[in-house]
Amino acid sequence: MMPNTMRDAWYPVGLLSGLSDDGKDSQLLGEPISVFGAKNGRPSVESAGRTLPVVERFGHLWTSLGSPNKDLFTIPEADHPERKLVDVGVVRVKCSPLRAVENFLDVAHFPFVHTDILGAESHPEVSDYKVEIRDDVDEVWATKVEFFQPQAAKSAGGGITTEYMYRVPAPTCAVLYKTCPPRPGEWDVITLFVQPLTEDLCDVWPWMALFDDESSMTDLIHFQQLIFLQDRSILENQLPKRLPLDPAMETPTRADLTSVAYRRWLKRHNYTFGAQLVAE
Amino acid sequence: MILYDYILSPSCYKVRLLASLLEVPLEVRPVDFHPGREHKSAALLALNPAGSIPILVDGDLILTESAAMLAYIAGQHGPGWLAGSNPVDIAQQQQWLAFSHRLTHALGGARLVEMLHFYGDLPALQASGIAALRELEAALFARRLSGGTFLVADAPSIADIACFPYVALAPDGSVSLDIYPSIRIWMRAIRALPGFIEMPGIHRLHELAPDPFEEASL
Amino acid sequence: MTPVNPVGDGTYWTMAAKTDAQWVPVAVSADILAGTVVPARLPTGPIAVWRSATGNLYANGDRCPHRGMRLSHGFVRGETLSCIYHGWRFGTDGACQKIPAHPSVTPPKTINCGPLHVAETNGVVWAAAKEPAEPPQFYPGYEALRSLVIVSTPAAIAAATNATIIDGAIQTTLGGQDAVLLMSPQGPQEVFILVLARPNLNLADRLAVSSALEALRRSAEAVEGAA
Repeated sequence: MMPNTMRDAWYPVGLLSGLSDDGKDSQLLGEPISVFGAKNGRPSVESAGRTLPVVERFGHLWTSLGSPNKDLFTIPEADHPERKLVDVGVVRVKCSPLRAVENFLDVAHFPFVHTDILGAESHPEVSDYKVEIRDDVDEVWATKVEFFQPQAAKSAGGGITTEYMYRVPAPTCAVLYKTCPPRPGEWDVITLFVQPLTEDLCDVWPWMALFDDESSMTDLIHFQQLIFLQDRSILENQLPKRLPLDPAMETPTRADLTSVAYRRWLKRHNYTFGAQLVAE
Repeated sequence: MILYDYILSPSCYKVRLLASLLEVPLEVRPVDFHPGREHKSAALLALNPAGSIPILVDGDLILTESAAMLAYIAGQHGPGWLAGSNPVDIAQQQQWLAFSHRLTHALGGARLVEMLHFYGDLPALQASGIAALRELEAALFARRLSGGTFLVADAPSIADIACFPYVALAPDGSVSLDIYPSIRIWMRAIRALPGFIEMPGIHRLHELAPDPFEEASL
Repeated sequence: MTPVNPVGDGTYWTMAAKTDAQWVPVAVSADILAGTVVPARLPTGPIAVWRSATGNLYANGDRCPHRGMRLSHGFVRGETLSCIYHGWRFGTDGACQKIPAHPSVTPPKTINCGPLHVAETNGVVWAAAKEPAEPPQFYPGYEALRSLVIVSTPAAIAAATNATIIDGAIQTTLGGQDAVLLMSPQGPQEVFILVLARPNLNLADRLAVSSALEALRRSAEAVEGAA
């Protein structure tokens, strides 16, 4: 049975700019939901006759099947008025929602999956970085992640060593803070918000808050869609479909410490929708 | 030449791919197809009332069908990519260009449903996609028996470029390619062509690049 | 009828092998070019079959031990197979030789991708999870022509050819030519067929066998649709 803890978390269910007043049928954690634009003046979500709690944040509508015991996380950096807020749009992926998040936390695949953009086969090394589960905020954090990138962002002119910070503030959400080529000292914010439809199907809503005066909004959307669609063909071909939490099932290395911490944190909270606890 | 382009569109990719193979410069104008639906905007409908992309503009010439764009680019810059004067080759090229529309409808339709939330009869689209893949597999097997690698005559042509992207991306619409060995060999030959470029979902052949670990030890 | 979509990812695998130590036909030899890897299936699950640059054939589980990515999506360089996801590189013995994220680390010998047994006879690639006591069945005077998948059952295919199944194979005629159909069930409603024909056939006769095989598929699938 699905533990209640995951029902109490917040999930993205639509772009605020793309909601339909007539409603759109969808799923959340295997249960049917309907997402409405301005049915009663405000966006709303219903499930089996119940009206679910909603939050409007980061350009998306968020909801929960249970009783969230805390507010949806915030990203204070994203509030800077000069940032471009980029609604990348939904992409459906036939994979575990947890595998989608884990892939987002990984840099070691860049040379092979995002070749000559986020990584190069000649620079595959992942140096040691810092990973922790921050108990005060109950989030997974990885910092000082450095990686050589041929074209780190739409705004990057050439190859640079990029610094990343990763943050997992909710079971199916991850935030990446990344060196911002036009503004040294600031971080670009790139997120992966995942709506878990079933244990092996998800809708992924990438969103970004960037400093970029050069690129058009369409350029920024296309760049991120390009990157995520390169990942999609990987995510749909991992076996088993559900993320194995049994350490014997897969072989991590030092480069995978973020994923190790993420899996441990999932296990600790019983966030197991989309996970496989023992080898089958 | 200006191409109104979407990075995830296999039809746009056909034009970019042929241009790259023939080293033809393209001025690319990104269109916010998803989520923005910019291809239905007034400005783009003025260029193409059908509301589809790609659109290729070269001076006064406006083309809105990718097969026509392939014929135009090949005609100008790579006549070897067009079937010559042999009526059989000409007819077969036309046959495969028409066939590519079936791939677009069936496999492309399944892909839009499975990936980008479009509406469509998914089982029916997948079934016609599988029927088309079976025909392609049988035809490519027959080509291999005669020593051929590509769809028409002895060289890659616009017929291959027209059919390749939607076939290669069939798994995006949950149609497996695992069971078509002759299609696999044909796709590999296309991916190995000098000047080949990838699109999301179609990876490059890493083995064609030198092994960085071998390089390091030299 | 509408064939069910063969997804080919092994997720709905249900057929149990009589034994793991049994040769199963998985591909036509000529369909696996040197320096390439292809997906195939054993009753125990999906496998990756690859031919090294020097032409030697190997097979292993279709799953990288690192993050479960299918190795049949990977690439072959020289005498090694690499995963497309993180580039982990495996040798002909299945052992991991290189983890690119840690180039100076020698991977522990325990990391491997589950090497399997392979053999080639009659232009057929056979694979087995455990080493069988005997070599694969040899069909004198035959050579592999092509393979395909029929969305049906072995019994329906046998019925469509008016033949009986012996050792998982059917001897029949296709397009007026002698033919042997090797069959490997891929699931409850999917059979991998590898057709063997006489090696000295001319082009027209080979095409006739191939066409007849397509016709056989249409009738076998129609039988299932009517059922």
